Formats: sequence, structure tokens, C-alpha cells
Amino acid sequence: MRRVRILAQCRKELLQFRRDRLTLGLAFLLPLLTLLIFGFAIRLETKVIPIVVQDFDRSPLSAAYTDRLFATDQFRPAPWRGGGDPVAGAIDPGLARAAVIIPSEFSRRLKAGQPVEVQVLVDGTDANNARVIRNSIQGITAFFGADKELIREPPPVRALTRLWFNPGRKESLYIVPGVYAVVLWIFPSLLAAIAMVKEKDKGTILQVYASGISAAELLLGKALAFLLVGASVAVVVMGLGGQIFQLSVVADPTPLLVGTTLYLAAAVLFGLLLGVRSANQNAAVQGVSLVGFLSALLLSGFIYPLSNIPPPLSLVSALIPARYFIVISRDAFVRGTGWAGVWLDVLMILVLGALLYGATLRSLGSLQLGDGGEGGP
Amino acid sequence: MPNSSPAEAAALVVSVEGLHKRHGSRPALTGLEFSVRAGEIFGLIGPDGAGKTSTFHILAGVSEPSGGRVRVLGLAPRAARERVGYLTQQFSQYPDLSVEENLRYMAGLRLVSPEHWRQRRGPLLRRLGLEPFADRLASQLSGGMKQKLALCCALIDRPQLLLLDEPTTGVDPVSRRDFWDVLTTLAEEGVTIVVATPDLVEAERCHRIALMQQGRLESLGSPAELKQELALSRLELQGAAPAAAEPLLCGGAIVDVQTFGDRLDVLVNDAVAGEAQVRELFRRQGLPLLELRHSDPTLENVVVIRQRRQAGELPLLPFPHPAGCRHQRTDLAIDARQLSRRFGAFEAVRQLTLQIRYGEIFGLLGANGAGKTTTIKMLCGLLAPSSGAIVLAGESERLRGPDLLRRIGYMSQKFTLYDDLSIRENLEFYAGVYGIPASLRQARIDWVVASCGLQGQEQLLTAQLPGGWKQRVAFGAAVLHDPEVLFLDEPTSGVDPLARRQFWSLINDFARRGTAILVTTHYLEEAEQCNRLCFMVAGENVIEGSPGAIKAAQPGQVIELLLPPEQLQAATLLLRRHWAAWRVSRFGDRLHLVLDHPEREIDGLRPLLAQAQLSLEGLRRVPPSLEDAFIGTVQRAQARQGERP
Repeated sequence: MRRVRILAQCRKELLQFRRDRLTLGLAFLLPLLTLLIFGFAIRLETKVIPIVVQDFDRSPLSAAYTDRLFATDQFRPAPWRGGGDPVAGAIDPGLARAAVIIPSEFSRRLKAGQPVEVQVLVDGTDANNARVIRNSIQGITAFFGADKELIREPPPVRALTRLWFNPGRKESLYIVPGVYAVVLWIFPSLLAAIAMVKEKDKGTILQVYASGISAAELLLGKALAFLLVGASVAVVVMGLGGQIFQLSVVADPTPLLVGTTLYLAAAVLFGLLLGVRSANQNAAVQGVSLVGFLSALLLSGFIYPLSNIPPPLSLVSALIPARYFIVISRDAFVRGTGWAGVWLDVLMILVLGALLYGATLRSLGSLQLGDGGEGGP
Repeated sequence: MPNSSPAEAAALVVSVEGLHKRHGSRPALTGLEFSVRAGEIFGLIGPDGAGKTSTFHILAGVSEPSGGRVRVLGLAPRAARERVGYLTQQFSQYPDLSVEENLRYMAGLRLVSPEHWRQRRGPLLRRLGLEPFADRLASQLSGGMKQKLALCCALIDRPQLLLLDEPTTGVDPVSRRDFWDVLTTLAEEGVTIVVATPDLVEAERCHRIALMQQGRLESLGSPAELKQELALSRLELQGAAPAAAEPLLCGGAIVDVQTFGDRLDVLVNDAVAGEAQVRELFRRQGLPLLELRHSDPTLENVVVIRQRRQAGELPLLPFPHPAGCRHQRTDLAIDARQLSRRFGAFEAVRQLTLQIRYGEIFGLLGANGAGKTTTIKMLCGLLAPSSGAIVLAGESERLRGPDLLRRIGYMSQKFTLYDDLSIRENLEFYAGVYGIPASLRQARIDWVVASCGLQGQEQLLTAQLPGGWKQRVAFGAAVLHDPEVLFLDEPTSGVDPLARRQFWSLINDFARRGTAILVTTHYLEEAEQCNRLCFMVAGENVIEGSPGAIKAAQPGQVIELLLPPEQLQAATLLLRRHWAAWRVSRFGDRLHLVLDHPEREIDGLRPLLAQAQLSLEGLRRVPPSLEDAFIGTVQRAQARQGERP
């Protein structure tokens, strides 16, 4: 292994990278756009949900209850004129996601110390949000009861919950560190794949084969170049992301530094592997985007909790570096437990990166043309 | 070389024994045997698909042989890579890097020390004339400069062996000549060179050549040996009214006749008997014969005759034209004025004016990137010109209209046949597209199949045909509808010499029937077959006219010098010290010297050569060839304008 060759290869890649507007855009513009789109547009939890309240009681108490429902930014009154069936009038046409129906003897029974039932009808199309709505209304109702001292005997066991790490349930705190994982996986690997497959497209690969460079030198040279590119992408994305979404590192920054470097290396190697395996640039770009986005978005715990992924797929998810990086990233920006909480994830990225390196080296083979004709190895 | 002594074996830079190579199930090389000595220029000569590139891949260590033993510098090719420079057929430097950056990258890969880099960079760039362009991106170099850059990159590590896969294909004649001069000097410095070329005039400059055909080595020897083996003599007939005389020269001692502009080349079994026969024939017919010279056969003769003896010649079948002759037309088939085409800031074609009549063969010549293909695309309406006017077959608008399309034939540089259709399916498809009446279809398709010698193989997938055959079928497909105007974009590139001759017979046949033909070609000797031609350099028309007129317009007199092959390079260098470089050029195995005052200057020539121990075997005045004309014109223009990129 000669350092001179690796450096020559690396310098050449950087020169080519700098000269190509497409790759420059892929490296800096698209990651920022992705960050903004995901950071602003993705909200897993809906806020200001339109609901209707049908109050048959029309008492001061029922009015107080209604006020309580709309006191948080969770719900807002739907534009419904009232009268008639709230299901047919508001939920069916999509004006409201839920209807709360207060019975006529609401105030009377409460004052008499009798239990009363408030009917809540929730649109279950979006199962996640239906659950959120149900929980909120139940919570508000319980709070209303306690507040007005309507419940005389408090339940013997009460769960006192408090949200750690993200007390305001600020969603960007959850989303943005995940976006870092997606962006730093997709774009460095795309760039590396294009750089590798372009040699085949342009026929320059023959010159490389004939030059006596070894597969490892070629691979390390290219990987080093795109690791450097990836690192600058990371600085830009994390820097601007921190500014825009008001995120800062809350713990020991070394796990993030080490983890990001290893993660970028794995991403670049993944791109190089697909580049070696693809016959042309189109195939490489499609392959990286499809596999990259699918794995980094869906199987990484970015959107869906990892625990929800059923067994055969969860094994696949265990092989996805993004899943480990998300843990590192969320820890650095939200949890702040440091090495103690994430050492295993850093180690896993290292292991997966080493596997990718081995696979790419194997695919490059002996740097020769195959017997299939003029194509690649 | 099983029987060679150790000393001989050590001097062998390349030795190949029983080399086999298969690509999938298709054999690419079958039982190759040859060896290359140190300091030799060894030529691999053959058409596309002969196995030249496969051989280079193996010698360069980028692919493994399927069988046999290959040694390069006494090692397995892979182990020898660091001492071998390789120029691939497709340009394989990085287009988005500058000349200097490409060179530096290759120096890095080849572990050239910083000290050596500093020492070698400047002289190497100067030697190949690239120093002024060190910062230019490789994609913005001309074809010739690209190849020089590739050679530079191959030379940065001082290789002992250079592998050059068609380094001059598509390169303009001036750069071509420079390139070969560099190669000759390198060989004298002890670098061994294996070079492939489809150009048989160039091949004369190799010390030894291997003729290849369909993965086999057909013959091997020095050009002189191969010519001797042929056991034929060549008579050059000057000023002999070729058109009238050619059909008469057959039978007796005559084996083959070929017209080169105003010269006739006659191959005869026996020089004396042949001369007697030719002179008798001319006397009886009352034809003029200014000069008759005895000469050796050329390599083209060797290849064509060998192929003919082996495979026989394809018959020249007349095209099944509809009954009745097309009436002769006097209007212009193509009338293009002041055509320009820009791509962004790049001007591919500048102010080009062309007029082509029906029945005329018009040659468009130029290096890769000179603007030939762009011109053709504009003329047949595939590309709109940035400015200028075109009248094509009487139409000035709607050049892509269906009526006009049916009267135009176009054979593009890349194969237009569908690889996954059979030959017959391809032809039927084109017959349908052109709307050929059903009554004529069968006869025409049969004609294509028969004139390609593919009877009984019509069901073969087109992908399975070798390059040269595909080209012939593509030509057939382009003329199926008997077009009035025919565009041929490099129909003969990569085709073997015998098939090239057949191509030209067909082209001539169509022209005689009144078709206007515009043809582009790399081969200058082919241009002699055109009625008129124009030579493009960087999008501009530099010379235009009939081959005769172009040659007549050349200033000075061309003197052809015959010397022993091993002295040619020394003589070239000597003469270039006394005359401007453009006046001295290698032409196959001869030297051409352009003199303004031959009477006075020739007297000084003989003692000059004698002093340098060079033996002049012959000296005569010849009319300039098209290559002389082109090189002279371009270099005089450059001398006037200063260096032009």
C-alpha cells in the first residue's frame, strides 16, 4: 500500500469534484434543501386539530369545560354551524377530526355527585392522531374534574409523568437530528457512487487498471476524498441546522465527532460499493437513492419507532448504519448522556463500515476486465 | 519462443505463445504466437473485431488470457504493469482535468518521485507541443492533442514498453505525422512499441507487423518481407486516363488494378511481362501513358490480395433499381450557404458553404471534432443551424418532412441497426419506415443480403455480426429506398481494406445512377475517390475542390526520396535541419520533400545525404498527394497566423 498513490487518487477526485457543478450541488445545495424540507415540513404530531363541541347542557359548567378543551393549542373549534348530527355535519365532510357531545344533564348530575358521560367521536382514519386526540381529551377531562374538585375521592394510585430531555415536546428536537442521519447518508454516498461509475462510463477505468494501482489504494484514495467532502457537508448542515432550528450540542461532543466521521466513511463506502456494482451512472444514482432513502427513512427509526418493526425486517434494520447514527445524533443534541449512552452505536457503525469496505474491495476484485466483454469487473 | 537461446529470450520484450481469449462464449483470440524485440515498433494490423484491443488488454495486464503463455519484460503482464505505458483506444484521460492535472495524477499513480516529476514534466510537455496548453481542460483539446496528452501520461514514468491502441484514428494528418515522428524517436531511444492501426500507409512505418483477422494471426514479418511473400510487382501508371483504362486492365499478368486520382496502380505477376502487356494495351486503345514505373506492392496490396486469396471477393451486385433510368438533373441536390452552428460559446461549424450536384460524390474530410458530423446533421435536417440557409433536394423548409425524408438516405457514424433484431427484421423495419412498395421490398432486401454475402444467415441477430459486416448491412439499410441524396458518415471506419474497396464500388454505382452523395472519411487515400472534397479544420473549410485541382494549387514541387527503411528517420531529421518542417514528411516507406526551386535545390541534396552516410536509392518528382496538400496548406496557414490551437 503506497501513500503516494492514495493521495494522488484523492487529489484527483477532489479536483474533479470541484469542477463539476452537478456534484457541487449534490454536495451542498440539496442537503440543505432536504434539511429545510424535513425540518419544517415533517410534523408527526398534528397541532391545532379542528373539533366540534355540541353542548346540550348550555350551563356555565359545560361552557367552562368547553373553554378548557380549547385552552391549549391542541384543538381549535371547527367551522361548524351547529345543530343536527355532528358526525354527518362536521366529521364526514372533514371539517372536524373529533366531536365532543355534552349531554343535557351534564351540570346537574355533576353537582349531584353522579357520574356523567361525555361522548367523544374521533375520526380514526389517521390512527396515530386519533390516539393523540383521544388521550388529549381524556387528559383534559381528568384535569377539568380535578380542577373543579368534582372528583371527591382521588384515585388511590396516580401516575405523575414528566417529559425528560424535551419538556416542551418541541418536535424539531426529535426530527432534525434524524434528518442529519438521512442527509449525511444519502449525499456522500451518491457523490462517491457517481465518482466510481463515471470511470467506467468514460473509459478511464482502463487507464487505472493499467497503472498498477491496487484495489485498496484506489478505494482508500476515493473514500478519503469523499470523506473530506462529506465532512464539510456535515459542518455546513449541522452548523446551519443548529442556527435555524436552535439546536446545540448538549453533551460531550466527542461521540458525535467520532460517530459522524465513521458514519460518513460508511456512507462513502456504501456509495463506492454500488458504484462498482452498477453498469452506468443512471443505475448507480437510482440504486443509491432508492436503497439509501428507503433504509435511512423507513428502517432507521427516523420516523417509525424501531420497536414497531417486526422480526425479519428488524434484522435488516440492524444492518443499517443510519439507525445507530440517529441514536448518536439525538443523544448529542437532545439527551446528552455522552459515551455511556452511545458507545455501542459508535462501535456498530465501525463494524458495518468495515463490512462495507470488505465488500467493496471484493467487488473491485483484481482490477481487471471480466470475461463478459468490454464492461466492468 | 521454445527454441530461442537465453540471450535472445532476454531481448524479447513481449512473448506470446498460444494465446487464447474468450469473451463469454465468443472466442476473441485464437492461438496467437508472436514476440517483440527491444526497441522495435511492432504493428498489429487488422479491421475492427480482429482482436487487437483484446490483445492489448492482455498485454497491459487488465484482462487475463483464457489460455496460453504471455510474458512482458520477462514477467506476467500484471506484474510488469509498472514498466508499461498503455494508450487505450477510447481516450482515457480525465476530460474534466487539465493537461497538467492529468499528468500529475498519472505520475502519482505510477509513483514518480517529486524530483523526477520536476525534471520530466517540462521537457515532456515541450516534446509533444503541449506546454502552452498545460492549463487547458482535456475535454477542450483537439483529437490530436488528446492523443498527445495520453502519450505524455504514458511516458511520464519512462516505460520500457508502450502499448498504443489505434493512437491516430480520427486525428488530423498534421498531428498524425508529429505523433509518428515522436514514436520513431522513442523507438530509437530504446522504447519498445506495440501499435495498432487500421491505416496501412501508417503501418509501413512499423519494423514488423502482424496481420490479424477474426482473432487469428494471419501473417507476420517486416513490411518488406510481407510484400516479398506476395511475389507480385506493382506498376504505377501516371497520366493514364484512369477512368478509361481501368476496366481494360485485366487478364494476363494483371492481378489487380486500382485508381488513385490520376494514377493507376497495377499489380502484376511478373514485372517485365506485365509492363509489356500494359504498354501493348495502351498502344492498341490509343490511350496516353506519360510514365510507367516499377515499384514494390504496398501493404494495402498485401492485405487485399491475401484476403481475396483466402475468402474470395464478394460480388458487386447491381442495385435492383426500378425499371427506367432516373432522369438526369442539373439542379443542385444540396445547396448550403454560410452555415454556422454554435453550441454555447463553442462554434462547431463556421460559415460553411457547400454545393453538391446530383451524381456527385462529395467528400467531407477532417479530424475528429472538426465539425463533419455537425455539418451532416444540419444538412439532413437533424440539427437546426444557428445561421445560414439550406436547400436540400429542392426544399428549403421542412427538412424533416415525410416526403423529403423518403428521398434522403442517412447512414450515421454509430450503427443504426437494432442489435436485438435479426438482419432481415432490421431490413424489413427500414423498408417499412421508408414506405417502400411491397412489390419492391423483397428484391431489395435480397439485394442487401446477397451483396453482404449473408445469404442463409438472415436470421442471425445483428449483435452477433462483426463491426465491418454491420457497417455493410447499415449501408444497405440506408439505400433500401433508392434515395436521391445519400449522407454517409464514416461508412468505412473500422472496415477491412477489401470491404472498403467494395464500399466504394457501391458508392460509385449509386453516384453513376444520379444519387448525390456526401461522405465523410478519415482516410485521405479514400478521398481520391471523390469528385470534389472539402477539408475542415476547427469548423472551417480550409481547402475545397477536386482532388486534382487541390493538388495542382499546391506551391512548389514534391520530390520523393527512396532510402533504405532504417535510414528514413535519420534522413528526415537531417532534411528538417535544412528545410522548414512542413516541407519534409514521411509518406509510408518514402520521404516527401517540397521544394520551391527544385532545379537549384536538388543539386545540394545528394551531397548532403551522402555526407551523412545516407544512401539515396531513388529520387523523382511526383505530383503532391492529398496528404501533402493538406499538411502544406494547414502548416502554411499556421505559419502565417502564428500558433493556432
